[in-house]
Amino acid sequence: MIAVTRMLRLELRHNAMALMVPVVVVLFWFTTYRRVMAMPPLWNLRAADLQMYSVVDFVTPLTGAAAWMGSRESRRRLADAVLITPRARWARLLATWAATTIWALVAYVGCVAVVYGMTAGQVAGGGPLWWPAAVAAASLPAFTALGFAAGVLAPTRLTAPVTAIVAFFVLVLSTELIGHNGHSYWQIAPIVSVAWNTGSNPGVATFYPYLPDLSIAQVMFLAGVAVTLLGTLALVGESRAVRAAAGGVTAAGLAAAATAVLLVGTSAMDPHGMMRIPALHDAANDRPVQFTPVCSHAAIPVCLNPAYSAYLASTTAALEPVLNEIAGLPGAPARILQEAATYRVDSRDGEEVRPTEGNTNGEAVYHLLLPVQMLGPTLTTAQTASQVKWTDGPDIVANFIGAGPGASQAQNAVAAALTMVLGRVSADPNLRADLNGEAPGGPGPSELGGLIRGTAAQSAAERFAALPAQTRRAWLASHLAALRAGQITLSQLP
Amino acid sequence: MNTPAMTATGQATATRLATAARLLRLYAASRRTPSALAAIAGCAIALRVALLGHWDAYGALQLPLVIETAAATVVAATVASPFGEPERVCGRWLPFLRLAATVALTVTATSALVIAAATGGHLAGGTLDVIRNVAGITGLGLLCAATLGGGLSWTGPTAYLLPGVYALYTQWHGPALTTPWLWPARPPHDLGGALCAGLVFAAGLAVITMRGARDRPGDGE
Repeated sequence: MIAVTRMLRLELRHNAMALMVPVVVVLFWFTTYRRVMAMPPLWNLRAADLQMYSVVDFVTPLTGAAAWMGSRESRRRLADAVLITPRARWARLLATWAATTIWALVAYVGCVAVVYGMTAGQVAGGGPLWWPAAVAAASLPAFTALGFAAGVLAPTRLTAPVTAIVAFFVLVLSTELIGHNGHSYWQIAPIVSVAWNTGSNPGVATFYPYLPDLSIAQVMFLAGVAVTLLGTLALVGESRAVRAAAGGVTAAGLAAAATAVLLVGTSAMDPHGMMRIPALHDAANDRPVQFTPVCSHAAIPVCLNPAYSAYLASTTAALEPVLNEIAGLPGAPARILQEAATYRVDSRDGEEVRPTEGNTNGEAVYHLLLPVQMLGPTLTTAQTASQVKWTDGPDIVANFIGAGPGASQAQNAVAAALTMVLGRVSADPNLRADLNGEAPGGPGPSELGGLIRGTAAQSAAERFAALPAQTRRAWLASHLAALRAGQITLSQLP
Repeated sequence: MNTPAMTATGQATATRLATAARLLRLYAASRRTPSALAAIAGCAIALRVALLGHWDAYGALQLPLVIETAAATVVAATVASPFGEPERVCGRWLPFLRLAATVALTVTATSALVIAAATGGHLAGGTLDVIRNVAGITGLGLLCAATLGGGLSWTGPTAYLLPGVYALYTQWHGPALTTPWLWPARPPHDLGGALCAGLVFAAGLAVITMRGARDRPGDGE
């Protein structure tokens, strides 16, 4: 044991990967750290992207360094000199591989510690998620084994660069080959952390636990690949007993890797946006995560999942003008509560996200689906607030008044008038410019409520919106029931 | 009718040519040039096969970049000398051989990739993109060979590959990286990117021509 430790210590001191650690750290900072830390402070987003980017950061330097170490004995013409040492060749090679892997893991753990440490200080709940970090960690021994085996078996001056670039090429290619196939075997690639076609999504793994199914299969595959590659090193030039043992190890590794690939072929996106593999799935992970929502102190509280607490102030500010208008009136919602998203794959339209519960007129709780939970590009806090303002604001009013298709002209006019209020005020002066701007692709204030410019309904809406807030409120308090019943005409609006 | 003097001159010229040819052949063999040519041919074939696919926007630029980097590392790997100091002392023509071999291999690598793409495939960046990328990344490899040793010349190009691929990615998933030092992400006709790549190639070529790769035990194998 002492001899093994000493050999490992010697290998650690004379390892090319030690020299590559600064390179890896710089690459990690340049591509992963800056990108991940620029994301909204959500564990699911950051952990998923950390897995993808860090694997890409490590693959080339690590595989190259491992190939360089693997070809060392041949390069320095030491093969004959070390042949007479009492230690078996396989054990000697494994010590070099282990030292290379240890250096890579040290660098990786340091990088992950920084990202997770910083994120822990910014995020209120929902993590940390360890499975994505574990998959990236498991990929390091596999990459080392790949490069090392190539270096031992084909020790030429071109081995290190060719192996490093081929490994990178296969990784990049795998993402291209997944395509739109949700059952693609290429999802076994360790850079895949979420349903590939939906990408990293803030709505995933917050209301429901992170599903480790795909991660388990990936770790199984990577371990199998590493064991297979290391086993092949002992199949030539060793004693019969060692060859037999190596044969068994190689077969076991191959079986594990093949099984993992087959399992990934059975995967599919579940309603919570994560990859489910039936054979690896734990039903306990289907239960929603219990949490106490964080609520604002508005006239009608806006309550979000703690993981989204960074959006609370801006969301409240976006909805506050409308909430102030209707708070305390009969039929107004008692609170605005964020809800989980439901993901589904449509055979014609691809992946889509819908609210799990939806809203009905006059309900005591308005269910809010934040725009960041939808598919699409990652939004800033201000963009999210702007979209909430122009989608949920009018929706809350419509539910309250009962406006919409089939409603009376007066209902639609009042709903439009209350929605126009959104365009005038914002409680948070810092957000005023963004919130009062038009949502990308959204309606302008004059088009709200589906009213046509120049019609009597639009004139009535503008007239009602121009009233002082107290007057509007007093009129609503006394006429709301009749308005909802469709008994008020446009001419009766003040 | 040949006079004895003319015959002697002709024989001397023929001898010099034969010597030069032998010198070139031995130099190429010592630098594993045949292996490098085979690897470059492999890169060209890989590019042609990759172009059979219908890649999405940045994949169509990333995959060729990976192969261009492979070709550039192969060129840079050939500068390692198996002889070290004795060759430096005795090799009067060594700087010229290093210059000629490196330029010839770079041109060969670029031509091979362009020809491979021209045989029916669609190369998203075009010919200028290949020339710029191969030259610039080869320059990085040459600089690494001069500082770290010929055997480790691959470290620079492979390390640069990731920022290059990432910069291409950011053109679609912003914020976009637009510095000309990340020339793979610049448009093919971009002057800044071409100047940076050309500068790196010129610097690498100059250093390798004058000093050669740093000698390290086992680098020339």
